Parts: sequence; structure tokens; C-alpha cells
Amino acid sequence: MFQSVSDVTVQLEKEGYVASHRISTVVYLAQQLGKPVLVEGPAGVGKTELAKVVSSSLGHELIRLQCYEGLDEAKALYEWEYSKQLLYTQILKDRFAETMAGASSLKEAADRVAAEDSVFFSDRFLVPRPLMRAITSPEPSLLLIDEIDKSDPEFEAFLLEILSDFQVTVPEIGTFKAKHRPMVFLTSNDAREMSDALKRRCLHLWIDYPSEALEIQILDHKVPEIDKRLAEEIVRVMNRIRQLDLKKSPSISETLDWARALLALNADKLEDALVEDTLSVILKYEGDVRKAQGELSKLLEKKAGEEKAKGPIEAPASAATKKGILH
Amino acid sequence: MQARIIEFTNLLRKSGVRVSVSEAIDAFEAIDVLALDERELFKDALRAAMVKRGDEIETYDQLFDLFWSGFYDNLREGFGDMGAALAESGIDLDELLRQIAEQLGQMEGSVDLSELAKALLTQDLSSLEGMIRAAAEAAGIERIENMLQVGFFSRRTTEQLGVEGAMDQLQALMEQLEEGGMPREQIEAMRELLQRLLETMRRAVRNYTERELQTRNHDYMEKFRREMLTEKSFYHLTEDEIRRMREVVVRLAQRIKNVLSIRRKRMKRGKLDLHTTLRRNMGRGGIPFEVVFKQRKKERPKLVILCDVSSSVANVSRFMLQFMYGLQEAFTKIRCFVFVAEIGEVTPVFKEREVTTAIEKALDGGDVINVYTRSNFGFAFHEFWRNHLSSVDKKTTVLILGDARNNYNDPRAWCLRDIQSKAKNVVWLNPESPSAWGFGDSVMDRYVPYCDIVEECRNLRQLSRIVDQIVL
Repeated sequence: MFQSVSDVTVQLEKEGYVASHRISTVVYLAQQLGKPVLVEGPAGVGKTELAKVVSSSLGHELIRLQCYEGLDEAKALYEWEYSKQLLYTQILKDRFAETMAGASSLKEAADRVAAEDSVFFSDRFLVPRPLMRAITSPEPSLLLIDEIDKSDPEFEAFLLEILSDFQVTVPEIGTFKAKHRPMVFLTSNDAREMSDALKRRCLHLWIDYPSEALEIQILDHKVPEIDKRLAEEIVRVMNRIRQLDLKKSPSISETLDWARALLALNADKLEDALVEDTLSVILKYEGDVRKAQGELSKLLEKKAGEEKAKGPIEAPASAATKKGILH
Repeated sequence: MQARIIEFTNLLRKSGVRVSVSEAIDAFEAIDVLALDERELFKDALRAAMVKRGDEIETYDQLFDLFWSGFYDNLREGFGDMGAALAESGIDLDELLRQIAEQLGQMEGSVDLSELAKALLTQDLSSLEGMIRAAAEAAGIERIENMLQVGFFSRRTTEQLGVEGAMDQLQALMEQLEEGGMPREQIEAMRELLQRLLETMRRAVRNYTERELQTRNHDYMEKFRREMLTEKSFYHLTEDEIRRMREVVVRLAQRIKNVLSIRRKRMKRGKLDLHTTLRRNMGRGGIPFEVVFKQRKKERPKLVILCDVSSSVANVSRFMLQFMYGLQEAFTKIRCFVFVAEIGEVTPVFKEREVTTAIEKALDGGDVINVYTRSNFGFAFHEFWRNHLSSVDKKTTVLILGDARNNYNDPRAWCLRDIQSKAKNVVWLNPESPSAWGFGDSVMDRYVPYCDIVEECRNLRQLSRIVDQIVL
């Protein structure tokens, strides 16, 4: 359990997630009010990651449901395992014969079979899918419904029912009610507007690209080997790139990838040629790469000019300190 | 507090943010569990509970500042100014207040001070804020309607607040202090302080009244709404807004595309697919537990766009083209023509270039027509009829963008009639409001009979609704 909003920040940071104030607030509220959280924002800003770290810092099992077009109840909730049922029927054929042996009429035989119904419609043949697992889980769990915007509207409507009651009725067996109300995170890339009904039931969290300071912090946390100066430079360039009119703006995950790539190349400074070679790490479309190249070489040139201007002033200062040490 | 939140909720609703009752309840609960000592926390909590759409966040932020905090900040600023003014005449406000408080402590109980006077002497701004709010409410501030009433309501609020009474009490206190042998210069300083306090309070009350007018006034909210991008008329856009609008259009197009793919799927349940059914149920001895149906494809339409690129409708054309090319997959083919008087095809421009630059190029005539002439719809339609009518067939939607201001030329509506008889649909989008159609040199009324859909299209909201109609 999180004790307070600032406790959330601390706990998540322990798990390696730098949460902004807003994120912590919403996570804390979700826990206190027992409401699902709908997390929206551009791809790669750490929406899924948030659910993961919350589950690990609470020590809850993470149950993940990945949404896609055509996802239906059978894939999300539960399914009867027909082939297993068939197999069992085959194997148990003889036992059936025994059960029905003494039956005097067809009706009596049918009644006897009916009495054994529960053998075939029991937990044994039920394949629980993520939603069912979250509900029947004996331990508290965290349900992550990822990319809900990719699912069909019908599925969304079906989710509403689950999210409000946390119970499922299987006609052949009965009703399962959640022992522990799981914490629920839904993520969406805003590819499709979610229905108002769903939004109403959720707390809403909009995660945007982070501020420069926060991004440096994240970078520092995730790629601790990186030089501070380089990290700052990377973040600045990323912010610049995000301002361009691109098909797919790079987000935090790309920043991290890039930092790791640069680290692997033993770079300690962003140079024109290096940036050009590694640009494909952060930009995924040819057109974007071309557009960014033009813009970046301008930026780097300007910076190089500034550094040159700064250079001579710095040099004597460092010479002086050296002298100081010598004496 | 609850009343304040409800009021805020109403304000949000008025400015177009949809907040349901259950969401307001969530907001109450959220506030219950949080210790509300931090403004940011409060803001985030309310936002998480009540604001669910990305494009509403901006509105929320602005309204929040206007409604919740602006006044306190203003009050603080006002008192800060007062302190600075006193410092200018050589008075240290904090020191003076401390001395007065000291004297007061000695006189213990012999002076009678109202809550307001006490708050003024201790500079307790948060209780001052509360008092002003309460007084304004008692003065019936909710009835304020226009600028002219600000003076009246300020006066009434001041009366309710008991500013004069408090000032009298402070005056009396000063006299007492003087008798008690307080040094002359301190008395002088206090006299100046009292004068400034009165002034500052008056200003604060007036400021509060103006603020209330702003938040309550419907006209103001209307203005606020109009400034939101989706409601903004295409006619007056700055460069920056065009750029931002372009982003919005891309997103909207993306969204429609998604809906489209889902709806198209829905269309297509066909006959039993025997092959797939057998294959999928192989594991169960061929017993068809799971039945698969064939999928039927829906025919995608062709689109022919006729764009008026004269300066009067350039913006509408720009965003419409952006939209349609964002939705390229929804059509089998898009052909795009531009006209002012002559008509020319710019489809190749879109093949060669990236969409944004292609649009700018097309709006510039695309090297095929002269854009520096006066609009002549009749001539353009006639040319289209003569040269390109064969490109229109029963699967084609013809989309015309223009204001139909024909400069008193012959409208040649029969061309449009022929086009309509060959096309699946003729859609006309006019950036002018329907009341202007047919007046002056507008010949819209002559064209309307030959269109299947005629719509006014002046802002993004209208545009996206129409696009929805066309593609679905």
C-alpha cells in the first residue's frame, strides 16, 4: 500500500521509474478510491511501464491483457476447452457405459448422464483468460489492459460490466466474484476516442512527453553509465526533434535507446557524423530522418560555434587551477 | 468547498468540457482522501477525476487558474504592492505590524476589533480571501451580468464586508495608541498604513467582482469557446494556428480511419467458410465447434475533389485536402482539381510530393492554372464537364469546396446537373453561412438543387462531422 502521494514517487523511483507529480497523484487516488486508471498519451512515454512498476512495487501479480482488433470474450475472459472435453469423453467411454448399464429406459439413461454434467462443465475444462484470472486470483493483483484503443467498441462495452462489478457469471458453473478488487490500468494511444461511458468510470491520466529536466532524470536513472553532459545534450536534441513536423515523434523509449546506442559506440559528445549514423535509432521513417538531418546539422553547427567562442575563456581558467594544484 | 467544486464543474460544462455527475462525485472523493495543502495536488486530482480528453486539458488549465487561484495571487500581489509603496515612504511594514501587535498585546481586551480588522492587521490573506468571497455572495454577486454593474457590486460587497467599520475601529485603535504614548512617527506611519489598507481592500474587492463577472458571464465563455481551435473560423487564422490546426487535422483523420476500419469489418460477415472452419477444428476431430464465416469486402469509393483556391476559401480547401489525403486508404482513388476560373488537375503534385507541401503547391495553382483572376464557377464547371466528365462514374463522390461567389458570371448550373447524374454523390461545402447564400454575387441557390449534401463548413468541428458523413 502506498501511504501518500510522495510515497508513491519514492516507491516508484526505487523500481526505476521517475514519476511526475501528476502521475503519483493519480496512482495514489486509484489505490484509495479503487478506480481504474485510463492512461493516455503518445507511444513510448512509459504508460505500460507505469503499470508494471506499480505492480512490482506493491508486490502484486501483473496480469496483462493485450488488446487487438477482433479480441472477444473468449480470448479475454474464459473459454471452454473443447478438445480436452472430447478427449476425456473418449477415455471415459467405458465408465459411461457402466453408469448407464442398469438404465431401463432411454429417459433414465439421459437423466444419469445429466447428473454427471458437472464433471464436464467444471473448472477443470475452463481456460481462464486474463480478466478471469484477475478476478479469481487469490492474491491481490494488478490488471493491465494494454492498448484498449485497438479493441472493438463492443469489447469496450463488455469491459464496462467487468470494471464496475468485478464479477463474472459462467452460466454452467455460477458467479465468480473478485476476492480482491484488482487495481486496473488501461492504456490507450488515443488512436480511437474511447467511449464516454468508459472514461466516466476511470480516473484519467494524460502522460505527455516529459519536461527536459524530468527526461534527464529518467535518462540518468535508466542509463546510469551515461555522462551527465552527454545526457543533457541528448535530451536537448530530442526536444528539438520533437518540435519538427514529423510522422512519428520520438518519445522517451527512443531517447533511452539512443543513449544506449551512443554509449555502445563510446561517444562522449554529439558529433555531426555520429548523429547522422545513429538517427535511425530514434526516427523510424525515411522522410523523418531526412527532415531531422537538415535541422540537426544546423543546430550542431551553431553549438560548435558557441563552444569555440567559449573555448579560449575556459582554457586559462583550467590552466590556473592546474597551477594551483602544483604549488 | 463542495459548493465551490460544483460551481467549478458547471463552469467547465459551460465551456464545453463534459463532466458527468459521477465524475464530480469522484472529484469529491479524491479530495477527501488527499490532504489538500498543495495547489498542484488539488489541480491534478480534479483533473484526473473530471477531464478525460486530451484536447480539454488546455481549457481545464486555463479555467482552473481563473477560478481557483487567480484571486488569491492577485490579493497577494495587491498587498505586496502596498508593502512596496510603504517602503518607498520609509516604512517597514512588517516591523510596524509587529509593533502594533505588541502594543495590542499589552492593552489586552480593551480594544474591540472585528475579524476583518484583525485579519488586516495580521495580513492574514487566506482568511481575507474567504471573507471577500462570503461578502460577495451575500451581496448577490451571482446576479452580475455586465461591466456596468461592477461598481455597484463592488460597493455592496465592501459594505457587506464591513470595511468601513473595520477602518473606524482601526482609527480608534490608533487614537488609543497615540494616547498610550506611542511615538509620533509610528503613529504617522500607521495613519499612512490605514489609508493604504483601505485603498488595497477596495481594489481587491473590485478585482474580485470583475473576476466573477468573467467566469459567470456567458458572453465571455462564448469568446473563450470560439478561441478553442475546433470552433475557430477558418477565415481568421494566424500562421501559427494553421500549423497547429494541421496537427489536429492529422489526428482527426487518424481517428476516423480507425473507426472506418472497424465499421468496414462489421459489414462483411458472409457465407460459411468451409475451408477455414474445417482446418480450425481439425484438433477436435473435425467437429465444428468454432464456425468461421467468409468476409465480404465493402467497395471503397472514388473521390473527385474540386477545390476553389481563390484566397477567400483557401483555408477551408487546405484543411479539407489535408483531411482527404489523411484518409487516402479510405478511397480507391482520389483525383484533385483546383480552379479559380480555369480548372486544372493537381493529382500528380500529390504523387510527387509529401502531402503538406503538395497542398501548398496545389493551393498555389500547381503550375496548371492562373490563380490571379476572379472566381468563375460556371466556367470552371463547364471546363470540367467538357474535359473530365468521363472520370466521374457511379462509384464516385464529387466533393466541391467553394463559396459560390461567381462575380456575376453565368453559373451554368446545368454542368453540375450533368455531373450529379453521373456521380454517386455530389457534396458541396461552403464556408459561408446559409443565410448569405444567394445574396450579392453568390449563386449558391442555383447550385443547391444539384447537390446531394450541402453543408456550411467554417470550422474544424463542422469539417470533421462532414468528413464522417462522406467516408462512412
